[in-house]
Amino acid sequence: MSLFLPKLECKKDIDEVIKGVAEKVVVLRFGRDEDSVCLQLDEILSKTAHDLSNMASIYIIDVDKSHIYTRYFDISYIPSIVFFFNGQHMKVDYGSPDHTKFVGSFKNKQDFMDLIEVIYRGAMRGKMIVKSPIDPRNMTKYDLLYHGI
Amino acid sequence: MGAYYCSVCRQTTFTGKGHIFGKIHQGRLRVVLLKFLEKVKEARRTLKKPQVEKFDCIEHKKTFWCYCCGREVDRNVTDENMTVLYGGLLEHMATPEHRKNAHKFWWENKADPKLRDKVIITEEETERFKAEVEKALESFVEKEDDFIKQQADVIRAQEKHRRDVLQSLLEEEAAAPPENGPSLQEFLKQKEKEKLKKLPPNRVGANFDHSSHTDANWLPSFGRVWNTGRRWQSRHQFRQEEGQKKKQKRKKELGTEGSKKAKTTEQLTNSDSI
Repeated sequence: MSLFLPKLECKKDIDEVIKGVAEKVVVLRFGRDEDSVCLQLDEILSKTAHDLSNMASIYIIDVDKSHIYTRYFDISYIPSIVFFFNGQHMKVDYGSPDHTKFVGSFKNKQDFMDLIEVIYRGAMRGKMIVKSPIDPRNMTKYDLLYHGI
Repeated sequence: MGAYYCSVCRQTTFTGKGHIFGKIHQGRLRVVLLKFLEKVKEARRTLKKPQVEKFDCIEHKKTFWCYCCGREVDRNVTDENMTVLYGGLLEHMATPEHRKNAHKFWWENKADPKLRDKVIITEEETERFKAEVEKALESFVEKEDDFIKQQADVIRAQEKHRRDVLQSLLEEEAAAPPENGPSLQEFLKQKEKEKLKKLPPNRVGANFDHSSHTDANWLPSFGRVWNTGRRWQSRHQFRQEEGQKKKQKRKKELGTEGSKKAKTTEQLTNSDSI
């Protein structure tokens, strides 16, 4: 349901969002609209977007359209979500190998909302890395892939 | 010597008039007279200074029981607009009928004759009372008129004030839509600033300049996965990587005959169905 979530296509748009959104968590979902897990995730994002509107702004980015950020953020699996706050990248320890992004979908809306809340609170307290409140059993397991140059 | 109902004792007795001299009856009589005389005393106080009040439908229609005449009598006198307190009582006690009844009552019950005159209002007293009532009524009417005029003034002033406010608002609106523009915006900006002040000052990116213009090569500070050390270095590293990739591409293109696809440097593995 990425119909309701704003899409970002070019680097300029993404830059503007990262720089422009103030005092709210910027949620950048990298993936493909047709992919099944992305669809599932997008539905959760759409349904919670309104309730989280005071804390977060959610955007959809197609990995086939924005290559530079796909590379810069080391997107290997889709969907991947990268979080920013006031132009700063927020890292989250999910209990997984990669703290720079969230990989996969959420089991339910509450998990996503809890995560956003934790990130927001951490950001307000000046923390650039926070611990994920999601039960590791509900998280996608993956191996970290190394990109040869 | 038949059945005789004594209204004071509220009893039927068979001993006839004898019971009146008894303790019980006289006791009850005393109580009755006390209450009765109290009311009359109150009323007599207004003889010299009658009280005129605006009509109050509950309080002013009350009656009292005249023991002498054995019936209820209106306590006050009213015309639905104003009331003369105790007017009814005083009027009634001036009537010859009541005087006769009072005498009868006193004789029959063998009450203290000194108290009897208190229950009767003389003609003199009534004349005096009537004159005073007239005066009182006049002054009351005057006061009411003044009060009403005051109210009217207040209401007029309120109306005028409301009209003035409305007019000034209309004038403002008509004359100043262009002027409202900047001041409204300034106000909104002030609000935003105040909100920002309330946020914790040590939050992430508190001093981030949201409106700074950056060029196309700008990259946010991102702690990459396979990075060197600190976050800002990751940008540098990325640019290096990109530079190297481009060199590699150029080399390949120069070196080989076939045309390679441009962006195959992406190593996107979509193992997304875990």
